[in-house]
Amino acid sequence: MAVITDAICSLCGSLCDDITVTVEDNVITDVERACILGRNKFVGMFLHDRIESPMIRKNGELVDVSYEEAIDEAAKILVNSKRTLSYGWCSTSCEAISKAIQLAEETGSLIDSTANVCHGPSALAVQEKGGPSATLGAVKNRADVVIFWGCNPAHAHPRHMSRYSSFSKGFFTQKGRKDRKMIVIDVRKTDTAKLADTYVEIDQGSDYLLVTALRSAINGHEDVIPDTVAGVSKEDVLELANVLKEAKYTCVFYGMGVTQSRSKYKNGDGVSSLISDINQHSKAVMIGMRGHYNVTGFGQVATWETGFPMAIDFTRGAPYYNPGETGANDVLTRGDVDAAIISAADPGAHFPQDSLKYLAKIPVIQIDPYANPTTELSDVVFPAAVVGVEAEGTAYRMDGISLRMKKLIDTKFKTDEEIAVDLINKVRELKGGA
Amino acid sequence: MSELLIKNAVVCDPINNVNCEKMDISVKDGKIVESVSSGAKVIDAGGKLTMAGGVDGHTHCAGKINVGRFMSPHDMRMTNVPGLSGKEAPTATTRAQVGYNTPNAFAIGYRYAKMGYTTIGEAAIPIIGARHTHEEFEAIPILDKFGLTLFGSNWQVMEYIRDDEPEKLAAYVAWGLKASRGYGIKIVNPGGGEAWGWGKNVSGLDDPVPNFDVTPAQIIMGLAEANEKLNLPHSIHLHCNNLGKPGNYETTIASMKLLENLKSNRDRQVLHVTHVQFNAYGGTSWRDFESAAPQVSDYINSTDHMTFDLGQAIFGPAMTMTADGPVEYANSRMLNAKWSNMDVELEDASGVVPITYSPKNFVNAVQWAIGLELALLVDDPWKVMFTTDSPNGGSFVNYPEAYTYLMSAKRRAEIIETLPEMALGRMNIPGIDRELDLYELAIMTRAMQSKMYCMDTKGHLGVGADADIAIYDIKPDSVDTTVEYVAVKKAFSGAAYTIKSGEVVVKDGEIAMTPEGRTYWVNAKMPQATVDAMQVDVAKKFKKYYTVSQANYMVEDAYLPHPVEITTEAL
Amino acid sequence: MQTVTLSLKEKNAIPIEADTINPDNFASKSKDEIGAILVWYGNAQVTIGEVFDVAVDGSDSTENTKIVINGDVSRVKRIGQEMSAGEIEINSNVDMHCGSNMTGGKITINGDADSWVGCEMKGGEIVVNGNGSYYVGGGYRGEACGMKGGKITVTGNVRDYLGEHMCGGEIVVKGDAGLLPGISNNGGSIIIEGSTTMPASEMKAGTIIIKGEAAELMPSFAEDGTEDVDGVTYRKFAGDVNANGKGVLLVK
Repeated sequence: MAVITDAICSLCGSLCDDITVTVEDNVITDVERACILGRNKFVGMFLHDRIESPMIRKNGELVDVSYEEAIDEAAKILVNSKRTLSYGWCSTSCEAISKAIQLAEETGSLIDSTANVCHGPSALAVQEKGGPSATLGAVKNRADVVIFWGCNPAHAHPRHMSRYSSFSKGFFTQKGRKDRKMIVIDVRKTDTAKLADTYVEIDQGSDYLLVTALRSAINGHEDVIPDTVAGVSKEDVLELANVLKEAKYTCVFYGMGVTQSRSKYKNGDGVSSLISDINQHSKAVMIGMRGHYNVTGFGQVATWETGFPMAIDFTRGAPYYNPGETGANDVLTRGDVDAAIISAADPGAHFPQDSLKYLAKIPVIQIDPYANPTTELSDVVFPAAVVGVEAEGTAYRMDGISLRMKKLIDTKFKTDEEIAVDLINKVRELKGGA
Repeated sequence: MSELLIKNAVVCDPINNVNCEKMDISVKDGKIVESVSSGAKVIDAGGKLTMAGGVDGHTHCAGKINVGRFMSPHDMRMTNVPGLSGKEAPTATTRAQVGYNTPNAFAIGYRYAKMGYTTIGEAAIPIIGARHTHEEFEAIPILDKFGLTLFGSNWQVMEYIRDDEPEKLAAYVAWGLKASRGYGIKIVNPGGGEAWGWGKNVSGLDDPVPNFDVTPAQIIMGLAEANEKLNLPHSIHLHCNNLGKPGNYETTIASMKLLENLKSNRDRQVLHVTHVQFNAYGGTSWRDFESAAPQVSDYINSTDHMTFDLGQAIFGPAMTMTADGPVEYANSRMLNAKWSNMDVELEDASGVVPITYSPKNFVNAVQWAIGLELALLVDDPWKVMFTTDSPNGGSFVNYPEAYTYLMSAKRRAEIIETLPEMALGRMNIPGIDRELDLYELAIMTRAMQSKMYCMDTKGHLGVGADADIAIYDIKPDSVDTTVEYVAVKKAFSGAAYTIKSGEVVVKDGEIAMTPEGRTYWVNAKMPQATVDAMQVDVAKKFKKYYTVSQANYMVEDAYLPHPVEITTEAL
Repeated sequence: MQTVTLSLKEKNAIPIEADTINPDNFASKSKDEIGAILVWYGNAQVTIGEVFDVAVDGSDSTENTKIVINGDVSRVKRIGQEMSAGEIEINSNVDMHCGSNMTGGKITINGDADSWVGCEMKGGEIVVNGNGSYYVGGGYRGEACGMKGGKITVTGNVRDYLGEHMCGGEIVVKGDAGLLPGISNNGGSIIIEGSTTMPASEMKAGTIIIKGEAAELMPSFAEDGTEDVDGVTYRKFAGDVNANGKGVLLVK
């Protein structure tokens, strides 16, 4: 029996790094301090069926093949493609992401992350106005006002509030929740909202109007605010603006309610401007509530390797970036690619129907530990190790802090990184021979 | 083993007092040696200028630069400096390249190498973010790397200084260097990063840091003393308070004076002041803003305890990035520009804001002049490191252009002619006729770095040095650098050869091969009892205030695939 | 006068990127020379002659060169990119970035134009006899300026972010515009004859006139009397106050 302390939970963007894991006979038998979601990842993985063997679709059925045959088949798809979509790479390590980018570069593909259906608009917002942010510990130690806007950590990031935000105690916040005002802005009263001091319910899709009204209030232009904005009374807008001006340190945590509702990235753009305006009076920062545990890492690695955080198109050699044109769903709904390689993500469960219909028409390569709806669309399937449990590597927390995930148990499966490297080598071989 | 003989090199090697003399250089197994066998591969330099590989001792190349990249996709297609900027498709040798001020990691390696640089120093590593810095180091090909670790607004540092615990402070610094795999102590706007935690700043050397009861002056002195106690290879590396503000030269000179009497056991300065261009401002507002380079230079000429670097401004788009959080916020409001910020728990702050230096703008014109004035008014080139504080003053790919400003009064006059009349009265550069020669340029771009960082194997071509060599396509015997600045710029923009650890990595201005570089870091040893006592305090910080476990905080060996560990013993 | 007619041989699925198709590249060139010019087709380059039938009538300078494009080019991007003079007539729907960065000349699209038509345009004229899509006259990601000069006319509707970051020039939309037209306008002039939603946010300068219904006005504009334009009286708003803007928004 081995007890591993300070293990990192590779489930959500909170990337809790204080987990104690007990391993007996190469099976995780106990997990301390993880939330229910994290616990399910550690312990639950032994309950799910793994993809046991590489597979190739033959006559409509996925059949077991050797690893070499699968690599050969996948490399042929990539080499023969005019334009491949490489997608996912967020529930995996930065080392694997780096190799995936190299594979995309060498095959003239387009590569995108799960941010395409999540926080991609946050990146666009940063590109408009910048990202005034902080590490989570700055919030823990200083923030006397925390706002959750369009996010529900009670369900999606269960330990966030105790470790980093609402309830956490720090140097200037010794009393934790008592030292802190908690505000939730959302379209429905979520379980997070039930814990708040103030809940502001807004009309669906009207976030941008509320942000703008708050800016007008903070910048001393009360007169231009109508009696009701976004379903919120002017009085409540002014009161909220006042809280922000009077606060010592505010953090706005924002989620997909902000990034994926009407006005999309302009919402985050507006919040960024709001943060800048609040800083004329007090101190404020913003942090996106990233979902997949290493979607932040994809953005980081892609940015230092290609200059862009997502939706990177190597079709013409040098990287080109234009979400709206080069995003995964942009090219799938238009039918702009003729093959796909998907790793550590499940578009089969999360993409719109139009995209899936098109995916079903083109050759798809999947790399994943588990069978999922994407497997049904796939033509070549590689089983992979569970990164963060069976393989070590780097991941980035939602605030951009990177941590090294430990290998907790042994595995017979190859890692995403190894598979990507084998594909690069096979592609080179096929191209060299052409 | 691999041997190389470079014949007919005209060598400028100031560390070894070689002033552009024709000689042969022998290389064996990546090092400069006395001689090689007759089987050595031969490169005929044909009388071309030959220097040690350049060392950029202060550049933003890993970590915070990623924030700059992230917020500026438009930078990726900028082609301001042909051959050293913009998008390039991958080749059989090179990965895809993008960018100008914030190029991707691959482009950083290739472009520095093309300019004959072989070693670069990242100017600011937050300890908790150090793993990220080293990941980017690993992605930068060819070059050797090192980084400076931020301590100037660190809670533990400020508490030890306040509580008068110099031994524990030194132990903490040593531990922080190890945790971050850093090379030296960086201090940015001491205390200002903590004040920015509340949206405030410190106003000068004696303005106490909120809640910590220490002053910036005490932080500087405390860390400088710890630096010497630890016998570190570099001095403290100081970004002064009040950066970017008219009239700040007084704070700058006062900061320099603080350390006049500090002694070092090593043969180097006790203080390096960085990007002084941003800290040599006269006047009381932007209205009466003027160069204070003469005052600052006069002081530097009067003392021997310090070195500095320029932070030269380059006209055109740039990207400011610094741990000086309050300055970046102020910039963004003044320039109406996008603003990224990072408050780093218990340690510091930072910000990133784009800027454009326009020759039509009188403030920018004076900023341009101040950097050059500092370089030319300080008599001793061994005190001066050439930098643009890339990309704060401008991208490093502009170095060849900037060299011509330092080497040719004629070239300067061409620029000055384009500047607004109002600016000319606020600067001194039109009256300065000094022109640097190639020997002085070699001092400012590689030789002085060897001394200021105590890197015995870098910045020179003596026996035992790393075989990091740049051969430029100009002939010192015949070129007149004061007039032929077009040829000078061209030569420095694409080396005839850049040799890294004995391997030809650039030939005729193009990348020939891309080996991986090394990472230098300092392991400073302190007595175990002091270390243990310090660890008790640090453990409390992790238990109560950090959001990362102490066990996951230290940068693991996996992130330094090619480490060079420098050990020092505390005094 | 030189007239070059390109007829797409076969409708493509993977987009062709045809930034080489402009009068500057075609002027005074023969059929064979034009046919040999490269375009990108997926991750490989092909010649124009491989994908288009090329016909050339006459030989003349750029300003006297007209390119007529027939066949379904709804998957051909970047036609007319960076053109400086001459004329392009597209008798089809056309894919993204048509006329991006153009500095002069005229493009007429007899069909719909996909996103980024006239992106970062600096001069010349684009007429879309159909619908536009997203980012008509907008800018590249991260840039401070979209369209800087010239004129775009869309006879149908457009989608969101019309003229985003516009720094100059003129856009006329005869139909409706989607969300947030004229956002961050910094000196351009926009007329929307139909209806739209949340116009002019963060406008610093320029003029936006909305003749139809303007839904959800931003809570960052101060009403400032009325103004008559061509005999029609509009409510006048000034802002965006949060950008210290001096822009003018006219709505009915």
